[in-house]
Amino acid sequence: MEFYAGIDAGSTYTKTAIVDNNGAVMCHKIAPTGIDCSITAMESFNDLCDELAVSQSNIFITSTGYGRRMIEIADQNVTEIKAHAAGGSRKLSDGMEIRTIIDIGGQDSKVILLDEEGETINFAMNDKCAAGTGRFLEVISRVLQVNLNDLGALSLQAKAPCQISSLCAVFAESEVISLLARKNKRSDIIAGIHRSLARRISSMARKTGVEPNVLLTGGGALNPGLVAAFEDELMMDIHVEGNPQLNGAVGAALIGRNSNGGAG
Amino acid sequence: MNQLEKRKARFARSMVRSAETVLAELEGNGDLPEGMGYFIDIMRDVFIKQDKSLISTRLQGGDNKKLIGTYCVMVPEELIYAAGAVPVRLCGGSYEASCIGDDFVPRDTCPVAKAAIGFTSLDLISLYQMCDAVVVPTTCDAKRKMGEELSAFTEVWMLEVPHIKESEGARKQWLEQLYALKKNIEKFAGRTFTAKKIRRKKLVAAIRMIGRAQYQARRLYETRMSFPPVIYGRDAMLAINAYSFDTASCWTDAMTRLNDELDERRQKGRFVCSKREPRILIAGSPPIFPNWKIPCLLEEMGAVIVADESCMGSRYLYDPVGIAEKSMTDMMVGIAARYIMPCVCPSFAPNEDRLFRLLQMVEEFRIDGIIYYVLKGCVIYDFELIRVEKIMKEKEIPILRVETDYSPEDVEQIRTRVEAFVEMLERKKLKKKGG
Repeated sequence: MEFYAGIDAGSTYTKTAIVDNNGAVMCHKIAPTGIDCSITAMESFNDLCDELAVSQSNIFITSTGYGRRMIEIADQNVTEIKAHAAGGSRKLSDGMEIRTIIDIGGQDSKVILLDEEGETINFAMNDKCAAGTGRFLEVISRVLQVNLNDLGALSLQAKAPCQISSLCAVFAESEVISLLARKNKRSDIIAGIHRSLARRISSMARKTGVEPNVLLTGGGALNPGLVAAFEDELMMDIHVEGNPQLNGAVGAALIGRNSNGGAG
Repeated sequence: MNQLEKRKARFARSMVRSAETVLAELEGNGDLPEGMGYFIDIMRDVFIKQDKSLISTRLQGGDNKKLIGTYCVMVPEELIYAAGAVPVRLCGGSYEASCIGDDFVPRDTCPVAKAAIGFTSLDLISLYQMCDAVVVPTTCDAKRKMGEELSAFTEVWMLEVPHIKESEGARKQWLEQLYALKKNIEKFAGRTFTAKKIRRKKLVAAIRMIGRAQYQARRLYETRMSFPPVIYGRDAMLAINAYSFDTASCWTDAMTRLNDELDERRQKGRFVCSKREPRILIAGSPPIFPNWKIPCLLEEMGAVIVADESCMGSRYLYDPVGIAEKSMTDMMVGIAARYIMPCVCPSFAPNEDRLFRLLQMVEEFRIDGIIYYVLKGCVIYDFELIRVEKIMKEKEIPILRVETDYSPEDVEQIRTRVEAFVEMLERKKLKKKGG
């Protein structure tokens, strides 16, 4: 078998990636999960196969993410933790070794600690609450009428970030509304939001035993304002690789490659 | 039907469903040891059939024996049996009961106390209303204040347990407490019984009887060291939990049968899984039936719970009473020592012995990983996590802390974490074997 696919069926987006026998990412697709992740996954996979011009039956598929068990076309499924660990432990472009992965997903966030061989040694996930997740940013961007993709750039212009004291996504929303009513700048509010989110996840990371180098993944890593906030909170360099959203999908594909005896 | 009755019926209905779900899952295992049937029946009688006469026959044996409710693991059952009464352990594990309890206690109270108050206040299962008095040891804050709240519904005897074991004063005070308890029981039992005082011979017999139960509990404990395992943790823990609702002698007979069956299975090599499955130790707060959320989830995800240190499990019947002479004084001193000295409940400080015991378990049971179970509001177990993490780091034993209450809402979030933990242990195990 030459190609291996990873499908990361997340709560918000379904990410699909195909790697070759050497573990290089050949192509990928990110699509909104919608109401049926199984169909979304199949469509993405079909598109990628057409793009690569290979037969689907030649590709070994590993699924992960919250919808992993629902993906009918998958040959195996693994937990998000395992997939992200595999994705983060591959040698990155500059040969840097990753020891901590922080993933900001749509509805959960996780911190994964790796040993020198890339095995998971500890992990933590936020529970029961949206405050430390991408959903938090979505809610806030809606209130502030800012495009989600513009949050980062805007927050970097902040002069005096606002204090956001509430840890709950719903209460934080009402806090933002009152900050707006008091004529605070949007850039300052957003910077405050980023800091509050980073602070929350950083405390989870410290409890887990965070160590450099830190890789930030998930949709949240696309936001330069959030990355900066993490650097300030953790006092460490935060690394982001191209397409951070794909980390779980690529990791799943690599697990598929390893379990089929691909070159390691 | 009035509003209160309707409310009670609704709670009872939901509780039947939750309890039945757990028992059905246990019985769904086609290879369930036959000897487990007895213990499952006990739980079914108490929580599902809720049949007063069935419970009465089992516990009171048709006589008019008094039932005395107990909490925690510091109430000397020997004294209760010697007075001709029967102890029933009432620490609560029902989600529905904990919801009722919410009305009586602060939000951050642990669900064990919430459920106990819920059960008592609404008479949700017959067992609680059948107890003529309850003994509440002053262990943690929640239990201490719970005792006070319970007194609105039933006769409560507080039992002052010292928090520092190693002082002469504390030991003396504890012994005095037990003499006072003895007096209480005698007075109480005397209301209906001809025998007023606890007789020496009766106490000797009670100590022997509970000693036999402990011997069988110890046998099960040792059976669980088997590699590969011969019984699932969710079954073994339920069998011990059932002791709460049974007489020591009947339970001992049933446990003897289960142990014999497990011995036979072990000899024949009939194991519940292979050597590959990660072997888990559950540490921390007690899982109490019907809250079997974590034990079931863990074993569903491919791990096997070979050991626990729960006060509803292994700790419950671990330490026997040591007596040299059978004088009344000697026996009272022996009982007093047994219920305090070896007990490693985190309500004691210092509690270094618990760390030692956990390390010992990790060795003896060949533990691959620890689930540190924290019931919301159980601060003292959470406190000791830091020490446990430190010593286990040296032994390279991974720990997953799971904080939860009895509500079924967070099962899926916990499932992901437990699954990833099991996956991690499997990898580690495979690697160790390969390297």
